[in-house]
Amino acid sequence: MTSLSTLAPRAVFRSTESTLAILAAAGFAALAIASDGSLLSGSSLETLFTYLAVPVLIGLAQMVALAVGQMNLSVGALGGFVAVAAGSVMAHQGVPAWLAVLGALVLGAAVGAINGLVVVLTQINGFIVTLATMTILTGLQYEVVGTATLSDYSPGLRELGRTSVFHIPVIFLVAIAVAVALAVYLRRAIWGRRLLASGGNPLAARLSGISNNRAIILAHCLSGLLIGVAAVVTLASAPGVNQSIGGDWLLASFAAPIIGGVALSGGAVSVTGTVLAALIVRLVDVARAQFSLDPSWVNFVVGAVVLGTVVITHRRGASA
Amino acid sequence: MSPALSAEKLVKLFPGVRALDGASLRVEPGSVHALLGENGAGKSTLIKILTGVHRPDGGRLEIGGDANEVHLDSPQAAARAGIGVVHQERNLVPEFSVAENIMLQRLPTKGGLLDRAAVRAEARRYLELLELDLDPDRRVRGLPVSQLQLIEVAKALSMDSKVLLLDEPTTASTPSEVDRLFGIIRKLRDGGTAILFVSHKLEEVYDLCDTVTVLRDGVSVLESVPLAELARPQLIEAMVGRAHTVTELPERPPSDANPTLELAGVSTSDGHRDVSLSLHRGEILGLYGLVGSGRTELAKALLGLSPITSGSVRVGGKQVKIHNVREALKKYRIGYVPEDRKEEGLFLEQPVSRNIAVAMWDKLSRRVGGVSAKAERQLADEYVERLGIRLASTGQLAGELSGGNQQKVSLAKWLAAKTEILIIDEPTVGIDVRTKAAFHELIWGLAADGLAVLLITSDLVEMVTLADRIIVMRDFHVCGELVNDHVYDSTSREVMELIHADAPE
Repeated sequence: MTSLSTLAPRAVFRSTESTLAILAAAGFAALAIASDGSLLSGSSLETLFTYLAVPVLIGLAQMVALAVGQMNLSVGALGGFVAVAAGSVMAHQGVPAWLAVLGALVLGAAVGAINGLVVVLTQINGFIVTLATMTILTGLQYEVVGTATLSDYSPGLRELGRTSVFHIPVIFLVAIAVAVALAVYLRRAIWGRRLLASGGNPLAARLSGISNNRAIILAHCLSGLLIGVAAVVTLASAPGVNQSIGGDWLLASFAAPIIGGVALSGGAVSVTGTVLAALIVRLVDVARAQFSLDPSWVNFVVGAVVLGTVVITHRRGASA
Repeated sequence: MSPALSAEKLVKLFPGVRALDGASLRVEPGSVHALLGENGAGKSTLIKILTGVHRPDGGRLEIGGDANEVHLDSPQAAARAGIGVVHQERNLVPEFSVAENIMLQRLPTKGGLLDRAAVRAEARRYLELLELDLDPDRRVRGLPVSQLQLIEVAKALSMDSKVLLLDEPTTASTPSEVDRLFGIIRKLRDGGTAILFVSHKLEEVYDLCDTVTVLRDGVSVLESVPLAELARPQLIEAMVGRAHTVTELPERPPSDANPTLELAGVSTSDGHRDVSLSLHRGEILGLYGLVGSGRTELAKALLGLSPITSGSVRVGGKQVKIHNVREALKKYRIGYVPEDRKEEGLFLEQPVSRNIAVAMWDKLSRRVGGVSAKAERQLADEYVERLGIRLASTGQLAGELSGGNQQKVSLAKWLAAKTEILIIDEPTVGIDVRTKAAFHELIWGLAADGLAVLLITSDLVEMVTLADRIIVMRDFHVCGELVNDHVYDSTSREVMELIHADAPE
């Protein structure tokens, strides 16, 4: 009863989720065979999962925004800004790692809440609001770190980023724990339900005494919090943080939930689908490395798959 | 016995209109009360006050007893006060389970988390009460509309409602679904619930309801009258009213002998059966019927918005098949002035000039493809003067004008497009009496200038004032046609007799 797939027992998702699970398993097996089994070695698995933690987290961050019919374009810029800000206070001001990590989470959630507040107070589309905050945050990120790369911070945190339990990196376990917590929250917590009710049918929600404004602010705040976690994971696992962190997060953040079966119109989420889709995108990247393909090829494939998924979902919705 | 719901002399003002001007009703526990009224009578305003969407500007509202005055300032307040509502449109969260939708207004919790077992148990109670055999864990998406409606009834009851308000609950139902719904309503009634049933289907009202309140022009013309004492013609007469005078309009030149628009045996996918009519240049043909008789739908089918399944349409003597509105306008010169000018007629955020010229842009455009603002203004000025639209300048936004002037802009657009056949749908709903008279003269003048006008209106006075002939519709077919002698008493009686004779007993 508590497995991830029963956390979202919705017929459509079940089919999407099982399709994705089969696809991921098949892809993994194919890559394992193509690499003559070297993918199954401990270090290969560690690499695979280490670089899966951030895509899972930012995918979930986008998913929460999509859940209320919003978008968060500031995913990458916020993650980059939080990462360099926390890295900088650790490296330059000597702030202890635990405090910097806590600060990163609070900062992420706070900026997310501001996104939500601006959307609610101005009644301007979340797309435009987060486009603006994206630009502002990118500027702040450059302001904090300039052209430097910070790598001289908390050895403990960086050690944690390299630690694995049975070849499964701790940071990936963190991402999965966050995913489970989010799934439980959306499934069981009152405000999680209200958020989804508001996304699914704002009018019905309003007539049932649910504040759509609060749901929007909450969704953006949660989205920011998840980005905060992604920033901490980046600090722990990346060789260093600089101005380029977060630059390639935007497409990835949309790819996971959209391929994972999350409705762009809101109200329908799938944590399992989003996690599985992030894994599939990661496997495409592994294949690229395996066969020494051009990196742009990955973007092409992911972009095409996202577009294809949207078209198929739209068709399915229209015929239903 | 004290009434479950009592509204006394409710008043609601909107800019320029008194939507409610002393509306009263009393609903007793254990009875079904019908609320009737034609378009613009104030029915929906009253419903919005009862459901906490609008606040009244005057009057008194009591729930559950004579002294218990309530002020409903939100939909939740209405629900807490004991008014459960099933709206005309479905309002459920598609991805949520049946049980959670029913309990959405007061989700039970345990330790800060949703108590699923309690949600299920509570919801099952209401499902059983309604004899609804549904898995409470089933997702709502994909369920048939009739079941969604019953789920909403369960949801409305979940707040321990003393009054259940059903707003046009049978518009999308099959006869067997209606039977089932009525069975449930009777069961709830016998259990002591007061039911307020809003409908325009008189057969259903007579079948189900005990008492009736009729609104007209924002006033209760019949207040909580037992239906057993009320014959159908009396009820219809109360709805459409008779204490009005018909304005005399000058003579018009006779209309053309040959019809410019001719329908023969037309059936549509909306359910029209065997509709025939002919419209001549210089004539005003009225299309009368109670709300829901299929008049607007017929107009929209003519414009190609829904398919015509059989029969023939002739324009200027030639048989045609109109595929879309663009074709109707450009090729056959048929224009449609919609009832809902704010939603369908105007671009409220755009200047008046652009609103008038929009259908003429391809004529006004210059070689490079741009539209000259000057040409737009000239065109707009011409029609502003011709229709007597009151505004500061044609650069003013359409949304800033009063209702009557907005309607004139909506009309000007089609005149500017040089239409030859104009369908005008409920032209004076929500417009004050004086502007109404000016509008009537305007429509009269258009016909005198040779336009063929198909007039749809629920206002029988307006119909008797303007129409040359009146086609009477009921339940998506024509039940009669008569020549209008512009004498209200005789014509209105004839119209009512046609509707009445056609209605099933």
